[in-house]
Parts: sequence; structure tokens; C-alpha cells
Amino acid sequence: MSEETARPAEAAGTGGGPGRILVAVYGIFALAAGARAAVQIATRFSDAPVAYSLSAFAAAVYVLATVALALGGRTSRRVALASCSIELAGVLVVGTLSLTDKEAFPDETVWSVYGQGYGFVPLVLPVIGLYWLRRTGRRPR
Amino acid sequence: MSSALSTVIIIAALLAAAYSLVTALRDRAMGWDHLAALGVLEALLVAQMAVGFVKLAGDGKGPDDTATFVGYLIGVVIIPVVSAGWGLLERTRWGPGVIVVACLAVAVMVVRLGQLWEGAVV
Repeated sequence: MSEETARPAEAAGTGGGPGRILVAVYGIFALAAGARAAVQIATRFSDAPVAYSLSAFAAAVYVLATVALALGGRTSRRVALASCSIELAGVLVVGTLSLTDKEAFPDETVWSVYGQGYGFVPLVLPVIGLYWLRRTGRRPR
Repeated sequence: MSSALSTVIIIAALLAAAYSLVTALRDRAMGWDHLAALGVLEALLVAQMAVGFVKLAGDGKGPDDTATFVGYLIGVVIIPVVSAGWGLLERTRWGPGVIVVACLAVAVMVVRLGQLWEGAVV
């Protein structure tokens, strides 16, 4: 990959072309995770404070990733890179913990059992996000 | 919940998704027809929200997890509007692609609404 001419998909950065689908899926997840966390914290926070705090954190990261990928500027790319990395780490760590230490997670979070409750999309999404950041990042110097 | 209305919404969402998928595969940008489809879907979802709130207020025997139910009821209404805007910004096949994702999400959320109402899965 030495010389790459500007392709239409890349002209708009991370939020354009196929990236628009990525942002759409991220947006839906931000909405789903955010609404869920709000409900959990508002109605029954004391039941599972760790799980619900984690839900809220996950939701915040999804919102951050959505906005950063949509904007696609220089700083946004870094923010997107960080949030996708946090998501990947989160889904792996929480997914493993939710299987080994069930007591710590009595109620589901987006990341429980590697995102099983959401069709494993939380596991796949950050990987695609990171790949997309990498791909759109290759520009001729 | 009204299962008839839910069925209509799910079918409408899937039809809109299929139609947008064809557009995306044909490498066309989204047009007025997609906006009209999203408009119909939005109208149905608003109707569902109204029916949902009336039932919650009237029946007295709502779902166990009322807060989550209300969250879904309101959240699902936002999706077609935002996806229309986001899709319109992209004048390529990825515009209707966004509509495919949005419509599938709406279908899934309406199914979840039904489950929450029945109390089958929480």
C-alpha cells in the first residue's frame, strides 16, 4: 500500500461511506446502552451497583465513539481509537468476569458474556471500528 | 401491547429494510421513496407510543419492568428520524445502508417491546 489516491469512501473520513453504517450501529448501541443504564440506575441501583455503573460507563464510551467516528477529525480519530480500544478491553474483561465471577454481576450489562444479550455485536463492533480507523488512516503522505 | 399494531410495524420495518437493501445493492443513493417509507414507519411508531402510554395508564396491569418498557417505547421513535438525517448526508449506496440498519433495529426493538409487555424475558 504505497500510493493511494483519495477514494470517495475516504474523502469523508471515518463518518463517510461504509463508515456511515458503522456510526449508525454505534449510535443505536449508544441509545440502547444509555437508555438501559438510565433505567437501571434510576429504578434499582442498589441491586447491583457495580453492574449498573459499568452499564453507564459502557454507554458513555459508546456515545463518545459514535460522536468521534461521525466527526472523524484528527483529534476525533484519537478519541475514537481510545474508545474502541476501551470497548474491546471492556467486553473481553467483563465477558470473562461475568462467566467466572457471577456474584459480581447479578444483572446483565451490555458486555456480559461477551455481549451475548445483544447478539455479540458489542464484541464485533470495536474490532470493526479499529479496523475502519486503521483503513481510513492510510493516506498518501 | 397491541399485537396487531406490533405485527404491522415489524412487517413495515422489514419491508423498508428490504427495499433499502435493494437500493444499496443497486448502488443508488436514498431518495424520496425511502423518506416516505421512514415517514410511514415513524407514524406507526408514534401511534404505538400513544397506544402504549394509554394502556399503561388505563389497564393497571402493565409490564413488570415498566421503566425499560417506556424506554423502548420512546427510544424506538427516535431511530427513523435520526437515520433519515444521517442517511441523507450520504449521497452514495451507504445512505440507504443506514436505513437498512435502522429499520432492522426498529423491528428488533418492537419484538423486545412485546416481550417486555408479556413479561416473558426481562
